[in-house]
Amino acid sequence: MIKTQTIPSEEPTVTRWQAFRAQLGEQGMLFLFLVPALVVLIVTQGYPLLFSAYFSLFDWTLSRSPVPGAFIGLDNYTRAFADPVFIQAVVTTLIFSLSATLFEMLLGFFLAYITVGETMWRQVSRAILILPMVIAPVAVGTMWRMMLSGRAGLINAALAAVGISGPDWLGDPNTALLSLIIIDIWQWSPFVMIIYVAAITSLPVDPFRAARVDGASRWMIFRHITLPMLIPITLLVLMFRLIDTMLTLDIVYTTTFGGPGFRTHTLTFWIYQQGLRYFNISYAAASSWILLVTCVLIAVGFLVLRQRLTRWQG
Amino acid sequence: MTTHSTELQTGRPLGEILRQAAVVALIFLTVFAVTIPFIFLFLNSVKPPDEFMTNPVVIIPSRFTLEHYQAIFDPNEDTLRFLFNSLVVTSVTTIISLMIGSLAAYSLARLKLPLSLTTLIAFLFLLVRFYPKITTTLPYYIMMRNGHLLDTQFAVILAHVGLTLPFVVWLMLVFFQELPKELEQSAMLDGCGPWRRFTQVILPLTAPALLTAGILTALLSWNEFLIASSIAPNAAKTLPVRVSSFITDKGILWGPMSAMSSIIVIPMMLFGLFAQRYLVRGLTLGAVKG
Repeated sequence: MIKTQTIPSEEPTVTRWQAFRAQLGEQGMLFLFLVPALVVLIVTQGYPLLFSAYFSLFDWTLSRSPVPGAFIGLDNYTRAFADPVFIQAVVTTLIFSLSATLFEMLLGFFLAYITVGETMWRQVSRAILILPMVIAPVAVGTMWRMMLSGRAGLINAALAAVGISGPDWLGDPNTALLSLIIIDIWQWSPFVMIIYVAAITSLPVDPFRAARVDGASRWMIFRHITLPMLIPITLLVLMFRLIDTMLTLDIVYTTTFGGPGFRTHTLTFWIYQQGLRYFNISYAAASSWILLVTCVLIAVGFLVLRQRLTRWQG
Repeated sequence: MTTHSTELQTGRPLGEILRQAAVVALIFLTVFAVTIPFIFLFLNSVKPPDEFMTNPVVIIPSRFTLEHYQAIFDPNEDTLRFLFNSLVVTSVTTIISLMIGSLAAYSLARLKLPLSLTTLIAFLFLLVRFYPKITTTLPYYIMMRNGHLLDTQFAVILAHVGLTLPFVVWLMLVFFQELPKELEQSAMLDGCGPWRRFTQVILPLTAPALLTAGILTALLSWNEFLIASSIAPNAAKTLPVRVSSFITDKGILWGPMSAMSSIIVIPMMLFGLFAQRYLVRGLTLGAVKG
């Protein structure tokens, strides 16, 4: 049946499907394989993106009208930058993102350095250490609401044991954001860890052997061989963590719900509130595009930097 | 690092032993610290109601009770329906995402389009990973509203396939690019078209990669909250969305909330513990090779 396709003269009764395939050829058939995924990508990502860019230029409150109102150009964008709550959300997001990323990088690298290796118990340790990142954010929210509860939380119980009276972590304006940072560190340091474990494992063995033959100390090997070789992957993890922390929403939703006051209104939470709670749909869309452009710029910046670096190193 | 920790053990025997002991102690400490919230959650899910929110906190319940589990599976609660929704959404999402994702990845690995369009399309898939999902959730909500598809499993599944597809495409693309071209050459000489080569030569070799992509997809879909909560508030509600509604005006229903959170957590914990290799590969490959 297959042979008939390449030598059609041998078999005159070619089905319509076979004729279609012969006409389409190798490359056409391959392109056909791509179509279902492209359709899903366009319906769930491409079109929604263009649609939201479009209606971010209109005055549209979904609860008042099912269709966009007047065209107002970039007013939604300028309005966001003049809105103190938006600016406050930007600052909150930056504090959250930068501090969580910094500690996750340090802790994750440290965890990778001490758990790397193929022994059974190291593998088991790593399997347990990655559990926080594979469970649902809503469950993480439940866990940490109970851990951080002011009256009956485990953290405050531990603090009380050493004579410190802990605050109502998630409800206190001074500690709410700090709590979110702690939760994010707990959940995502393992991500940094497993990537460094993979990276360290795949480092070439020869430079280390040579350095030891030359009598280099453990610190010298770490400082002059391991670290420089890990810079490209470090840039990549840094990019992932910076962007992902800027996009954190589920944890905020399930623990502080933006409060107390606007204290933990991150950008994503603020956009969520504007869009799906108050239905200021065009204003929310404009704000989300500001965030989107920022994230894509960060990603492109890191990727360019990484490429330059690998070219320079190589 | 197959050899670093062992090969470094030359000289300084006592210092080396002390160093190893310190490392072991540190690992135990971190493992313990990471596990505490899990243990506390499970203990709370079997704790009698009057032992919540007490001061001092009750860590080990005075007696173990299954009443919170009974309460959430009470026939008046729709937990079974939400569980069913979650299972349907996760499994259908995984199957569709794997099918069209691996097909697309194979195409991207073999297709030769002009102007490096193939690379551009692959890059577009990657881009999805880098922008806020809230940007697409707003218009997606309106699209589903206009199409009268709000609160349907179809809407949730379509969104989840869109969300997980990029991961499948990238995982499989890396895998297909590494496969030796010779594998397909004899089949090609026999006149096999792309479809037969894909289904009969390539797919049988991809079981581990498919497993990796499948576990990652199932995980993302099972845990997803934002889209599901905005487009499926009632009939098509999934378990993660249900958990958040235990926070009521009158207070938080700690017991049932812990029980349902445990139910959501346990399958993923089992994946984490028993399919670690695949899970880690799925979680890192996207980053390391991307």
